[in-house]
Amino acid sequence: MVRVSFVRERKSICVPEGTTVLEAEILAGLRPDAPCGGAGRCRKCLVRVAPMSSGGTDSDSALVSNGNMNSEGSMDFDGNTGSGDVDGEDFLIHDFRAATPPVRACQTKVSSDICVDTLTSQEQDLSILTEGYLRPVTFHPGLSVHKIQLDKPQPGDKRSDWERMLEQLAKAETQSKAQPETWPEIQPKAQSDRTERIQPEIQPEIQPEIQPEIRLGIRSGIRSWIQPDPALASTLYDRRGESGTWYAIHAEDEILELRRVPGRICFAAFDVGTTTVVGYLLDAGDGSVLAVESRLNPQAQYGADVIMRANYALEHGTAILAECIRMAVNEMLEALARKAQVSTTDIFQVSVVGNTCMHHLFLGISPASLVHAPYTPAISQRLTLRAAEYGLCVHPKAQLLMLPVIAGYVGADTCACLMAVRPDLNDEITLLLDIGTNGEMVLGNRKRRVACSTAAGPAFEGAKITCGMRGAVGAVDHVFYKDGVWSYSTIGSEPAIGLCGSGLIDLVACLLRAGRIDENGRLESGQEDPQTFVLVSPEDSGNGKGVYLTRKDVGEVQLAKAAIAAGIQLLMKELQVTEDDIAEVCIAGAFGSYMDPLSAGDIGMFPRSLTDRVRSIGNAAGEGAKLALISREELEMADELACGTDFIELAALPDFQDCFIEQLEFENA
Amino acid sequence: MTVLEELRQSIEAGHPGETEKLVEEALAEKVDPICIVEEAMMPAMREMGERYKKQEADIPRILAAARCIRSGFVLLEQQDAAFEERNIGTVIVGTVEGDLHDVGKNLVALMFRSAGFRVIDLGVDISEKQFLKAVRENPDVQIVCISSLLSTALPEMEQVVKTLRRNDPEKKYKIMVGGGAVTRQLAEHMGADAYTENCVEAAEVAKTFIV
Repeated sequence: MVRVSFVRERKSICVPEGTTVLEAEILAGLRPDAPCGGAGRCRKCLVRVAPMSSGGTDSDSALVSNGNMNSEGSMDFDGNTGSGDVDGEDFLIHDFRAATPPVRACQTKVSSDICVDTLTSQEQDLSILTEGYLRPVTFHPGLSVHKIQLDKPQPGDKRSDWERMLEQLAKAETQSKAQPETWPEIQPKAQSDRTERIQPEIQPEIQPEIQPEIRLGIRSGIRSWIQPDPALASTLYDRRGESGTWYAIHAEDEILELRRVPGRICFAAFDVGTTTVVGYLLDAGDGSVLAVESRLNPQAQYGADVIMRANYALEHGTAILAECIRMAVNEMLEALARKAQVSTTDIFQVSVVGNTCMHHLFLGISPASLVHAPYTPAISQRLTLRAAEYGLCVHPKAQLLMLPVIAGYVGADTCACLMAVRPDLNDEITLLLDIGTNGEMVLGNRKRRVACSTAAGPAFEGAKITCGMRGAVGAVDHVFYKDGVWSYSTIGSEPAIGLCGSGLIDLVACLLRAGRIDENGRLESGQEDPQTFVLVSPEDSGNGKGVYLTRKDVGEVQLAKAAIAAGIQLLMKELQVTEDDIAEVCIAGAFGSYMDPLSAGDIGMFPRSLTDRVRSIGNAAGEGAKLALISREELEMADELACGTDFIELAALPDFQDCFIEQLEFENA
Repeated sequence: MTVLEELRQSIEAGHPGETEKLVEEALAEKVDPICIVEEAMMPAMREMGERYKKQEADIPRILAAARCIRSGFVLLEQQDAAFEERNIGTVIVGTVEGDLHDVGKNLVALMFRSAGFRVIDLGVDISEKQFLKAVRENPDVQIVCISSLLSTALPEMEQVVKTLRRNDPEKKYKIMVGGGAVTRQLAEHMGADAYTENCVEAAEVAKTFIV
């Protein structure tokens, strides 16, 4: 065993020789970012490595063989391994001189005790989009609380305690139904965003009177959906008495808890994205948001995209990835509860949405069927499960709601977006675009809806772009070009260190307007190096490297935008409509919220004529996850939305390739 | 500038309309179709391959050039029966089972066609049985090309290579593999005869197999 010490994190871990630094980072719980899944391609896992020596000055000899195709990649420290007496407190004595070149953690194997500088700040200050725009719906959650009286029965009453409790519950339910004002209606929150939003004024009607089915209690004539629960029934005797007033917290078909005081009852909604996870804590009494949490999906250490994660799951078992995301969700649940000053056991329902791969991995389902043609999900229907059985630390009987999946690459997150937008309520045609690591889109109206998924790739999330980065502090988020003058803005107004998606498309759009990119995407920057356009010089930048765009980057943008544009073209063809028929383009996701629709139209991500019909809908998937909790009708609607949305597999369409190649051009150059 | 030079430039620039016009012009000038391919189309594609290696051209531009070649090709085949029948060898191409991606495979097929091969394109999601069947039905086949973009389909690809090998003790045909998921080491490990980084090289390597 050898010891690996992480100086920034002040952690050390003993690992077998031959372990890679990346694996050691994962074992130490550091959650490194490894977009290529440790394949040695992306160079995003760079670390500096020095031998663990008491003197700490020998780090200039050739320490590390940066493993590549021909070497084993093992490290040799020229005999600097003797000092086994170094303990964890000595971390800081090691200097990582600039002379030590950074190496790829995934390709560097450890053969003796080493110190590692991960070169990252502890928690990246990412701006993850958590805001969405809630459609006004009637607050009518599947979970309700009713006051019941558990009295000692009269002599001669042969009904069981359970039956009498159900009767109480039925009575309480009837009463509260007669007073619908106890279900306040949620008003759309005041939004302070720059985009103007049109809130559809749709009020789904209150559901018809529930027709309870006779399921039990036939003898006493009580009709109820509630499943018998022997364990709970056995506690009913002790709950009787003078102060026999209890609050029953129950879902449609089961009692989750009987409480003395109603207390605070909460819901939690999660949008598990490939890159980021957003969690909301809601008050079950009125649906208001009590707290919001977001973080990077820690599964990123096993690969940036769904294919790489699925590969990892197939090779090493789904359990590792399931455990990884559940742990993150649990941490977020704790943080949410802490913020709102409630206990995690006050959370009675959790809804989770995500793309099909995230959905499967969360549930511990093997993604094998997802990554092998014809790419079908293992299970797609809406699920109501016991949260505790999926490792969530909430109320032991809390329910886990999983929204339905539409197809292999159109997941529950898209279904949630549909719930937030409800294109099925309109005669006009809506285009829903969710641009993340994959680009999912749905086109349609009341009559018919068609979905597809395009491999837009992560270019708009900063991957594959030389100076690309996620939307964090210091990222150029907008670029302006007017009368020959270039300017830009950055997130947090900090010195620029890279380009995030919105900045990237702005920059390409501006270069097109300036005539520096031709229709084929050829960049002639007019600068010293004609193949590179320097937006921020090294001196002005926050990292000394500058922010620039290369010809190759333009090509990546072309591939990504063409994938989306081709998807839109083929959906329009399938529905036999033209761009003039599209009344609204709803763009979900962080990139969609920050991007300038004009730039997106100019680079040809969607037909330019749609630019003025673009509406940014924020984290619509998160909104859908919330709607599932606060409205029973909306939750049931999810099934119809998922089933009633057709799917077309672009890869199987003979037109796709031609259409894709056509869309590669910059029409507006 | 001769019409062939112009044609070559239009392909490199990726203008399909212009390419078609120039091909028609060349045919009207009685230029031999094989000459059009060998002196304009192939050099253009080779140039694109070179530029790709030097990172001067990227996949969008290669696809645009390929589209030009394809539309030019259709014209040549329509106009000249002899051209359509030329055949320096037979190649089977297909995307392996579990994968539906065919952009790369189609490029390779086009390059083989340009180089004068007869190409049997099996399509996507092709199982080892289908590859085997195709090889048996086409005893004149000299090269089998297997493509895969998704790394999840690599085990299937390895299986196909092994099965084809087992069924061809006399080594009548060569096996080439390629695609986004494949690397040279993986190709060697699988036991393929050749791996190339790009479609132009694939056609050139394939020519060396035909003696």
